[in-house]
Amino acid sequence: MTNKETNYFQLIYRLIIGLIALRFLSFIWPYISDVILMLIFAFLFTTVLLSSVDSLERKIGNRGLSVMTVVIILIGGIGTFIGSFISQISQQASEFSNRIDKETLTQEFKILGQKFTSSMPESLQNIISSNNDTAGKLSDLINTIIGSLATMATAVGNFMFIAAMVFIFTIILLAEYHVFRKSLVNIIPNKYFELGLKLIYNIEKSVSSYLRGQFLSAASVAAMSITGLFMLNLLGANLTLTIFIGIIAGLANLIPLVGPFVGMVPAILIAFMNNLGNDIAMSHTLFGVLPSPFFILDIILMFLIVQQIEGNLITPALVGKSVGLHPIIVMMALLIGGTILGPLGMLFAVPAAGVLKVILTEIAFVRKNAHLL
Amino acid sequence: MKSAKWENIFKGWNHSESKTIITLKQVPVFKNFSNKEFLELEKLIHHREYSSGDFVFKNHAPGEGMYIIMNGCVKITIGTQTNNENILAELNEGDFFGELALFDDEPRSANAIAIKNSQLLGFFTQDLMSLQERNPVLGQKILFNLGGVLGERLRGTNSLLISSQSKRKDLNDE
Repeated sequence: MTNKETNYFQLIYRLIIGLIALRFLSFIWPYISDVILMLIFAFLFTTVLLSSVDSLERKIGNRGLSVMTVVIILIGGIGTFIGSFISQISQQASEFSNRIDKETLTQEFKILGQKFTSSMPESLQNIISSNNDTAGKLSDLINTIIGSLATMATAVGNFMFIAAMVFIFTIILLAEYHVFRKSLVNIIPNKYFELGLKLIYNIEKSVSSYLRGQFLSAASVAAMSITGLFMLNLLGANLTLTIFIGIIAGLANLIPLVGPFVGMVPAILIAFMNNLGNDIAMSHTLFGVLPSPFFILDIILMFLIVQQIEGNLITPALVGKSVGLHPIIVMMALLIGGTILGPLGMLFAVPAAGVLKVILTEIAFVRKNAHLL
Repeated sequence: MKSAKWENIFKGWNHSESKTIITLKQVPVFKNFSNKEFLELEKLIHHREYSSGDFVFKNHAPGEGMYIIMNGCVKITIGTQTNNENILAELNEGDFFGELALFDDEPRSANAIAIKNSQLLGFFTQDLMSLQERNPVLGQKILFNLGGVLGERLRGTNSLLISSQSKRKDLNDE
């Protein structure tokens, strides 16, 4: 048998084995997908927290103790944030419901609609007047949103379970990270050993630099948004929960492209809730020209400025070209991630594409330098 | 009478030195290490097994770190086996090679091939860097010792160069 024929047989054999493996994976995937998702989350959290644990270990000389300290600080921070957020938001909601009933709400919308249309050019006014039920539609929309909030509460239980499991996995991974890494390296065959080592190192480096950069830019967005909201308050925007809105905007900013717009929503909602019935806020104009009821346009402009500063000055300096993906690839990754896992998929789409890029680069290197293996 | 239960409870109290630590103690890169530091180092070391004739690494391949021979024998060569193989050194138990890769990103400058079935200990750049992060005192000790080893090799090369130059001069004078 010639060498070429053997190669074909090998190729067909590998293809069959690959297809069987794929079929088997698709069969067991529904049972293991949740666990794998939890492990991916745990790995990402570990990557973010690893440097803090390592540097604490350097100071106190005990890994277990450093993991516990970092975890306690983290739980304390998250607990304080969620606790005070829930208490403040419920206070805000009860104040809002005390102040406004459904009829007043519809009335306010009507006034707002009239004010908004009167400030528009005549040609636009004619188009809008043909469809005059905007106020009713808007109040219906608000009711639907409130209704869907109740269904969201049921999902919270499921989320809590996943969060607890991710938390446990993260603690184990943080404590045993270097041991796990060593075990992973040990299973690489001799032929690919140094290459595999380099690949693992490059993946680690690309994921951790991307995540750290993202978290730093999220923190900067949060800080700038809080400052911006505070400045709007000085102009009379009457915004409450500014710190929470800022933090939520920062977190939402982690999702590329879509996140920045999602981050504006809580601020607009709060501005709307706090200023309903306030004539000065309703007749407010941006730069004395554009009608901006409830300071909505001011808020949007403030967030746009924050995003421009973050996108053009801070992120390039912090993240640099850590992942180095083309914008089209980023968009494609986001769409695929969003289709598979929703917002969470979008959050992890870019680092996952970055990891894939590192793997493909290494494979290309191997193909080019096969004689070195 | 020894009971398995008590042995398990007191496991690690009188723990004898592993073969890995005994091998590491012979390497000048890890000299002046305390027992605790050797235990810390042992966690980072990778155990690899090579059959006779296996390449540990090839010339011009990207280098990631150094190897220490725990068992067996390794030859360092230039050229291929079929075409002008030039054996630079044959290394045995306790010897180490590839330490230059800990410092630079340059590709390997020779082949390393196992002559017998060999057990090697691998210590790699990333492990050294992570150790430097977590335990800088230990990391610094390794770097200092590595500097000493490289300095010694440089002195050896210098004396070889001087002797070859003087031989050349003598030949020219004649």
